[in-house]
Amino acid sequence: MQAGLSTKNAPSVWVVVPHFLLGAISFLVAAVFIVFNYEAFLSYHLSGPVLSVVHILVLGWVTMIIFGALYQLIPVVMEVKLYSEKLAYTSLAGLVTGLFFLVTAFLDYKFQLTNNFIVGGSLIIGAVVLFVVNILVTAISSAKQSISKLYIMASAVYFLLTVLMGLFIVINLSYNLLPIAHNVFLKTHAVIGLVGWFLLLIIGVASKLMPMFLIVHKTREDLLKWGFYLINAGIIIIFVVTFFQQIPLFIDVAAFGLILSGLVMFLMFNYDVFSHRMRKKLDVGMKLSAIGFVMLVFSILSFIATYFGNPALGLPPGRIEIVSGLLLIYGFFTGLILGQTYKTLPFIIWLYNYQTVVGRQKTPLPGDLYSSKLATIHTYSFLVSVVLFVLGLLFSLKLIVLLGAVAMLFTTLVYGVNVYKMIFHKKQMIK
Amino acid sequence: MIQENITEEEAKVYEVLKQVPDPEVEVNIVDLGLVYKVTKDDERKTLDVDVTLSTPGCPVGDTIIQHIQTILEVNYPEYAVLVDLIWEPQWTPDMISEEGQMYLNS
Repeated sequence: MQAGLSTKNAPSVWVVVPHFLLGAISFLVAAVFIVFNYEAFLSYHLSGPVLSVVHILVLGWVTMIIFGALYQLIPVVMEVKLYSEKLAYTSLAGLVTGLFFLVTAFLDYKFQLTNNFIVGGSLIIGAVVLFVVNILVTAISSAKQSISKLYIMASAVYFLLTVLMGLFIVINLSYNLLPIAHNVFLKTHAVIGLVGWFLLLIIGVASKLMPMFLIVHKTREDLLKWGFYLINAGIIIIFVVTFFQQIPLFIDVAAFGLILSGLVMFLMFNYDVFSHRMRKKLDVGMKLSAIGFVMLVFSILSFIATYFGNPALGLPPGRIEIVSGLLLIYGFFTGLILGQTYKTLPFIIWLYNYQTVVGRQKTPLPGDLYSSKLATIHTYSFLVSVVLFVLGLLFSLKLIVLLGAVAMLFTTLVYGVNVYKMIFHKKQMIK
Repeated sequence: MIQENITEEEAKVYEVLKQVPDPEVEVNIVDLGLVYKVTKDDERKTLDVDVTLSTPGCPVGDTIIQHIQTILEVNYPEYAVLVDLIWEPQWTPDMISEEGQMYLNS
């Protein structure tokens, strides 16, 4: 009867932990980059430092943690063992090395294809192919049918499409293989990456974990299904119209409308879970996650605002787009990752240290492996940094943006201390 | 507690099982309503426990099972302990005791 239990399916601690460690380091590096290049974010042009930070955040921080967390959560969501740990290690090595070359290439970016782009891009594509194969083969081997699984499988496919498009943009800029509008292609690359990869994956995993953590049994699966159809319809339309030279505005608006409607379905699902929860008191991990969802709402509103245009909002060119991206990548994704770190990492460390001694000796609980006080401190500093960034960008206040960057750096350091405490936890028994 | 008509000895077993927490929610498995049945047979020296989990994919599921097994073997060394994981009836949050609900919200 115990075949479905996920501890038996759990991956090795050595597969999951390096992702969290490297993710925390990337988060810190991104913050240092922003502190030293904060003025670049007030410029309309996509400069080298901005592109570097964006890729450190989306690949080194968000994707890295998602890889690690997903390897741990696959047994929970799909009730099977990960197909291959070797593929996971190889994928990690490719992602880290590729990211190093890619960031180096962006720092010296002059709209030309350099060797660093080719090496970095190829390594990242290789890493993503291995990841996607690993996830899809695992998913196919799982008899469990659920909407969560469907979201995860779709997100893996979109992730591959995202990195292929990214490399194609850089190649096409140099060799003009296809007569495409690069700004439109870049937008599609960003939409498929942010919505197709990150959002679909987050919805897939969160729709399973949120009810589990908040102790809710009956959930609105219908909202998740509608969300899946709407978001995918929006993404597919955006992808297809990329290859047309003239795109009527209403098609673009309709596609984003479909995506936003799908996101609203997901928010309604979460609201329903939240309002029916048995566990009324939220721990710090769930509080941070809740903050992330609030940021998603603000992010949606700011994306809607992009259709009014910056001049109508009294903003410099490109500013509302940067604010929207910031609220999504830094506000939503980072808030959720900070919170879910405390719902995933302590467990695999705890299982590694105490699985064999529970019952024989009194052990700490997973919640004892990190400092709740530190987690609360970086919750506040994270919130402060988001508010400062948004205010600084909206009102073009350099000093406020710098203070936001400093608050972000402080957040990464405090979060890093907690990650260190968890990863390097020494086995202890309570008398 | 779901089980009715339990003996005084079986009630003691429930008290022992209250030392087993769900590591995620930090509430003991008895108050979470995860223990469905305890049968202590003094003649055959067997101790059977039927338990469930809040979800089949519970990340710490078999650690909880192992915790139950070990703690009962330590407390009842003369008994053969058999922990059976069952999925029927399906656990629902309504099975959480009043004490459990208080813990969850404190």
